[in-house]
Amino acid sequence: MLWFKKEKEKEKINTDTRKTDHPKNVRHLLNQLKRNPDFVHYKHVGGSFSCWISFFSSLINDESIHRDVLPFLYSDKIRSLDDIRKNVPIEKMIRTSDLKEIQTKLMVGFILIQIRENSNNALLIPSVLREGRQIEKSEVETSIIGAKEAFVEAIDTNISLIRKRIPIPQFTVEELRVGKISNTRVCLTYIDGIANEENINTARQRIKDLEIDHLIDTSALSQLISDNARSPFPVFIDTERPDRTTAGLYEGKIAVLVDGSPNALIIPTTLVEFFNAFDDYFVVWHFATAYRLLRLFAVAFSVLSSATYVAVLSFHYQLVPTDLLGALITSRSVVPFSPMVEALILEIMIELLREAGARLPTKVGQTMGIVGGIVIGTASVQAGLTSNVLLILVAMSALAAFTTPNYKMGTTIRFLRFPFIVAANIWGLLGITVCFTFFVCHLLRLTSLGRPFIEPIYPLRLIDLKDSFIRFPYSHQTERPMFLRPGDPSRFDYKRSKKRAGIQQNDIDE
Amino acid sequence: MKRLISLISCILFLALSGCVQPSIIDDILMAEAEGLDYLGDNKVLGTITVPNYVTGGVSGSGGGGLPATAAMMSSASAITYDGKSLVEKLQVKGQKAIRVGKLRVMLLNKAYLQHGIRKLIEFRNQDPDVGRDLYLIMVDGSTKELLEGTYQTQIPISRYIYDLIFHNQEKNFPLSNMKIFMYKYYGAHMNAYMPIIKKQGKHIVLTGYALIENNRYAGTVMGDNANFIFKSLLETVNLGYYDYEYKPGQHFVLEDIQSTISYKVKNGNGAEPKITAQVKMSGNVRQGNPEIKTKNYYTKMKKKLQNHLENRMENMVAAFQKKGVDPIGLGDIARSYTRHFNDSSWEDHYPNAQFRAHVSIDINETGSSEMHDSSS
Repeated sequence: MLWFKKEKEKEKINTDTRKTDHPKNVRHLLNQLKRNPDFVHYKHVGGSFSCWISFFSSLINDESIHRDVLPFLYSDKIRSLDDIRKNVPIEKMIRTSDLKEIQTKLMVGFILIQIRENSNNALLIPSVLREGRQIEKSEVETSIIGAKEAFVEAIDTNISLIRKRIPIPQFTVEELRVGKISNTRVCLTYIDGIANEENINTARQRIKDLEIDHLIDTSALSQLISDNARSPFPVFIDTERPDRTTAGLYEGKIAVLVDGSPNALIIPTTLVEFFNAFDDYFVVWHFATAYRLLRLFAVAFSVLSSATYVAVLSFHYQLVPTDLLGALITSRSVVPFSPMVEALILEIMIELLREAGARLPTKVGQTMGIVGGIVIGTASVQAGLTSNVLLILVAMSALAAFTTPNYKMGTTIRFLRFPFIVAANIWGLLGITVCFTFFVCHLLRLTSLGRPFIEPIYPLRLIDLKDSFIRFPYSHQTERPMFLRPGDPSRFDYKRSKKRAGIQQNDIDE
Repeated sequence: MKRLISLISCILFLALSGCVQPSIIDDILMAEAEGLDYLGDNKVLGTITVPNYVTGGVSGSGGGGLPATAAMMSSASAITYDGKSLVEKLQVKGQKAIRVGKLRVMLLNKAYLQHGIRKLIEFRNQDPDVGRDLYLIMVDGSTKELLEGTYQTQIPISRYIYDLIFHNQEKNFPLSNMKIFMYKYYGAHMNAYMPIIKKQGKHIVLTGYALIENNRYAGTVMGDNANFIFKSLLETVNLGYYDYEYKPGQHFVLEDIQSTISYKVKNGNGAEPKITAQVKMSGNVRQGNPEIKTKNYYTKMKKKLQNHLENRMENMVAAFQKKGVDPIGLGDIARSYTRHFNDSSWEDHYPNAQFRAHVSIDINETGSSEMHDSSS
């Protein structure tokens, strides 16, 4: 208990020093900033006008300041700050004497111009440097057909990527600031009129109420604003694809962008959407449905296969088909461990391989994955540490887990196995059932922005089932998901779309 | 507080796991066949066999040709009393725990059937470990000798017997796993039956069916295609085979027989109920008699075969009536055809029931060459 007291005392000291560090006036601020080598602060003395110019050379656009700002300052027409305002061809200049504003604007790339060094009366000229990565191909959510563009770290570029795809005035971008120190730009984007008002308000409120010093990424934001922080399941999808984000916006969802993060957060989402790849919309609905069902099966297999192996081999020998008994017993007979230990060894080994592969540079990682998998797998069977039947099962379940299109959900799926394996070792198939029930109960209670997380299943919404485990043809998807309670529920008129399909239209050459 | 309670209950649940008996698959002996010989005076000689999975080095393992650690035992027997779990008695002989869950065949000798099988069947009916696709079989001779004998095949004896019966029941022999046996055994107005096997040199032969009446042995269905007749009276036949010897040395064989049966009962409560069976058969002929080359040879033979089968069916049912057993379940059929069926008087009326069979045969094809029809 003594620890907490100490912490509190330390905190007190910290806050005290911070208080003294806070600049009280412009002179104080400038003196503080002058310590930085990239801070430029000098007096310009012209024929008719002299002033103090200060800016961060690392934050301003070098080219623009020499072309658009400084030549005008040196001209003879300028006699006061107001003259600068009239003559410099840059929009959105700010005339202020507010110390706080001066400080924040300086830190994002404005040029500060004062008549006297200590004067609070100042003019701020925007000359923000926008430098960042080029728009590149999506790396995480790759697709074979369809758009290849992916978000970058610069939030303005990301907004432009979305706005290009939604050319209507109703597309709204709301800017919020998050982080006591970092003051990170967070943009809430939605289509006004389609997105549900309540959803927008909830999202805005949750982001505004965040008590945090700095925000790094959308992933952090998604954890911070999620409905249940203790849940292993992610409740918001983060995507690096602008086309997927746009599709979500058109359905009535909200996309949240964070400056410095190449991902958009789509809220709210259902569990089923985590298993839908955006590629599904590019292939015919038969195959899209087949792939979605395949993924669903893969998830079930991945979570339950090794646990079922443990349960059947430890308790339910009656369930093993007679012809399989021989194979199982001979492969098990040299293994000194119980089925659970054996399964845990292999599962942890696969996790190690995956983790090492993810941390290593791409080229080394690939080699290590393949060689490590084959060598360690085969060797551990030959050494009698694991049975080869289990090796196949574990490898296949690892493979199945990787079919999950969302990386975060894939991680959850992979780790769900471990409680299942332990439960299987305790009570066999009954244990698996108990564990499964536990997770189903948890999912039933889980919400995403206050909306039920496993929605098309419970509560049952037939309209939303049309685009869940199965995908109906586009002509049948007449309504936006009921889950979102959109302002305008219908996408298009079903009768008219049917009529158009029904009429035998002549080709142009007939 | 709430969290504390849930934590404590979780720990308690974990403690409960000690109450579950594990059966790790390579650490148990799975009895696949159980044989019971009645010794008289309520004493039974029981034998079990356990398949031996590991012989020599383990495939897939690189090192060592040592016998693996899997439990090995091929058979064990002990004297016990009727209706007791044999496996529990034999635990003292097992290197590792013997488990009965994979039991596939249960053999009983004739003396056991004559003694009565009520206790055994009730015990089997209670035991959730054992599946219902198990075969209850009567052995002509000693079950111990049959189970411990050597045969041409290396396959475990339990699988040998199981496979033998399984594939024959797809063809000419009526289905008779434990589920069906239980249904017939406990059902009203019907009697159970079980296959009979016999050790013959280095082989096992399926010879016929033993009939059970009032939990005791009540005769057999045996010999000369009797199984086919029996099966076609009981159920739908899919891949039957019937060899008809119409003259000494002259055979007419119907193959791939599809046969369905339907019953009609008139006067079910009367002193002489009338039962009619309509059997529809279709099949192929491969072995005709090449010497007969008349055009209507097949029509003639078909009629002959129909009459022959009708006679055999009627004779078989007459024999059942004489013995007072009803493996077909004619009583049950009569009950389903009769309003206000009189259960108690059926037993008296059954021996007097008039049974008629009508067989209609449809020959689908007669082979690849049509030399008989075209030559005349």
